[in-house]
Amino acid sequence: MTGSLFVQSIGFGLVTASILALASVGFTLQFGVSNILNLAYGDLMTASAFVGYAVNRAGGGIAESLAAGAGFSALASMLLNRYVYRRFVRHGTKLFGMVVVTLAVGIIVQNILLGAYGATFFSYSVSSGKQVHVLGMLFDTSQLMIVGLSVVTMGLVQLLLTRTRLGKAMRATAANPGLAQASGIATDQVTDLAWLISGALCGLAGVVLVLNTSAFQSTTGNDFLVIIVAAAMLGGVGRPVGAMIASIVLGVVTEVAAGFMSPSFKEVIAFGVLVVVLLFRPAGIFGQGSTVKEVPA
Amino acid sequence: MSAAFSYYVTTILVYLGVDILAVWSLNLQYGVTGIYNFAWIMFQAVGAYTAGVLTLGPATGNGGFEHYILGLQLPEPLPLLVAGVVAGALALVVGIVALRRLRTDYQAMVMLVISVIAVLVVENVNGLFNGPAGLSLVPQPFGSLPLSSLGYQWFYVALTAVVCLIVYLFVHRVTSSPLGRALRATRDNEEAAQALGKDVVRLRLFVFVLGGAIAGISGALLIQFIGAWSPGSWAYVETLVVLTAIIVGGTGNNAGVMLGALLVPVAFNEATRFIPQFGRPGLVDAMQWIVIGMLALAFLWFWPRGIIPERRRRFTGTPAASVQADLGEVA
Repeated sequence: MTGSLFVQSIGFGLVTASILALASVGFTLQFGVSNILNLAYGDLMTASAFVGYAVNRAGGGIAESLAAGAGFSALASMLLNRYVYRRFVRHGTKLFGMVVVTLAVGIIVQNILLGAYGATFFSYSVSSGKQVHVLGMLFDTSQLMIVGLSVVTMGLVQLLLTRTRLGKAMRATAANPGLAQASGIATDQVTDLAWLISGALCGLAGVVLVLNTSAFQSTTGNDFLVIIVAAAMLGGVGRPVGAMIASIVLGVVTEVAAGFMSPSFKEVIAFGVLVVVLLFRPAGIFGQGSTVKEVPA
Repeated sequence: MSAAFSYYVTTILVYLGVDILAVWSLNLQYGVTGIYNFAWIMFQAVGAYTAGVLTLGPATGNGGFEHYILGLQLPEPLPLLVAGVVAGALALVVGIVALRRLRTDYQAMVMLVISVIAVLVVENVNGLFNGPAGLSLVPQPFGSLPLSSLGYQWFYVALTAVVCLIVYLFVHRVTSSPLGRALRATRDNEEAAQALGKDVVRLRLFVFVLGGAIAGISGALLIQFIGAWSPGSWAYVETLVVLTAIIVGGTGNNAGVMLGALLVPVAFNEATRFIPQFGRPGLVDAMQWIVIGMLALAFLWFWPRGIIPERRRRFTGTPAASVQADLGEVA
C-alpha cells in the first residue's frame, strides 16, 4: 500500500470512528445506567434511519433527517426501557434473561421493518457535497459533517456527564442505584433521561451510518452491532470515555487493515483486537476489575 | 400412509431428533450450568461442515464447482464422531478464552460476537467450506444399503433415534450425578460452589466442551440428511430459536426441553411451512421471527420456568451424611 493510500485509509477510519463513537457511547451509557446490554440497539438504529428516510423523502435535508431520527429513537428507547426492560427487571428477570429479552425485541423490530419495507435497499437523496482535502486526506463534505457532528456530540456528552447535576446523578445511579436513591436522587427519572439521551445518540448514529454507507436495508443497523459491542467492551462496558477512545482505535485499525485485505474482514479485525485486549485486560482497557454486577431490581 | 406423507413424517422425525440434541446440548450449558452461550449455533455449524467435508469426495469432483478443504470420503460413523470431536475442540478453545476470566455479561457478548465473526470468516474464505454458497451434494451415509428411498428415510430416523438415545444416556448421567449437582451449584451460587472446593472454571469448561460436541453431532446428522449447509443456516439469531425452545419447555429440565424442541422449532417451523405465501416475499418469514420473539418474551414474563419446570431438589437424610457423601466425591 502506498503512503497516500495509507493516509487516505486513516481518513476513512476517522469517519468510521465518528459513527462508531456515537453508537457505542449510547450503547455503553444504557449498560452503565441500567445494567442492560441492549441487543435491540442496532435495530433501533435501522428504525431511526427509516424515520430519517421518510423525512428525507418528504423533502427534508440532512439536518431534518438527523433531528427526526434522533427524536424518534430517543423517545422509542425511553419508552422501551420504561415499559419493557425495566418491567422485566422488576418482574425478576435476571441478567441472562434480560439479554434474551433485548435480543427478542431486536428480532421483532428488525422483522417488522423487513415486513414493512421488504428486503430491498434504500438510500437518502442527498448530494455528498464537494470533496475537500484535509492533511492529504480526501473527504466528502457529508463525511466532514459526520466527523464534526460526532466530535461536538461527544464533547457535549462528556460535559453533561462530568459538569452537570444530571450527569452526576446518572453516574451515581450507575455506580450504586440503591445508594443514589437513598441520597435523594429520583433514579427512575434519571434513568428515563439517560435512555432519552442514549436513544438520541442511537438515532444520530443510525442516520449517519446510512448516510455514509449510502444504501441500507432492514438489517443494516444490526450488522453494525458487532463493532458497537466490540468498541463498548474494548473501552470497558459502561464507560463512555472508554467507548470513545475504543471507537477511534477500532475505526482506524479496521479501515487501515481493510486497505491491506478484503473489506469484508473489517469486523474480523475488530474482533481480533478485542480478543487480544480481553486476554490481557478481561474488563476492557478502561474497565474496573472484574466486579460482577447483577441487574438492579 | 401415502408415500408423500411418509416422507413428510420421516423428515419431521429427523428434524425433531436433531432439535432434541440441540436443546439438550444448550440446556446442559445454559440451563444446568448457567453458561451464556450465544454462539451455540456456531458449534452446530462446525459439526455440520466437518461432517460435510469428511463425507464429500475430493473438491475436484462434481466438475470442481465447490471449493472446500479435505474431501476425505470417510465411511460413517467417522464423520459423525469427528464432527463431535472438532466442535468439542473448538468449544475448548473458545471456552479457554471466554469462560476463564471474563465477567458473565462479557461472556454473553463475546459469544455473540464470535458467532457473527465465524459466519463472516466462512463466507469470505472461499476455499474453506465453499464460501457464501455453502456445501451441497453431501452424500448420505450408508448409501450402499439395499433400501428403497422411503426405506432409507426410516433407516435415517432409526439412526437419529440411536444417536439421541446414546446422547441422552450421557446427558442424563451428567445431570443426575453428583457432577450435575456441582454444575447446578455453579449456576446458582458461584461463590458458594467455589467455597466448597469446586473448580468452577473447570466445571464450566467441561460442560462447554461436552455441549459443543453434542451440538457438532447434531449438525453432522443434519447435513448428512439434507445434504447441504450454508452460512444462511447459522445466523446468530438461530441460537435464539434453540434458547426459546429451552425457555418454553423448562430451563434445566431434560424432558422439558425435549417438549420445547417439539413445540418451538418443529411444530412452529414445520406448521407454518404450509401457510400460503402472501404479501411481499419474505413477509411470512418475517412474521415467523416476530412470533418467535414474542414467544420468548411471553414465556419469560408469564412462565419463566417453562412448561415442565426443573425439579426442586431437596436434601434427604441427615446433613452429616450428605456432607460425607460430598467429601467423598470432591473432584
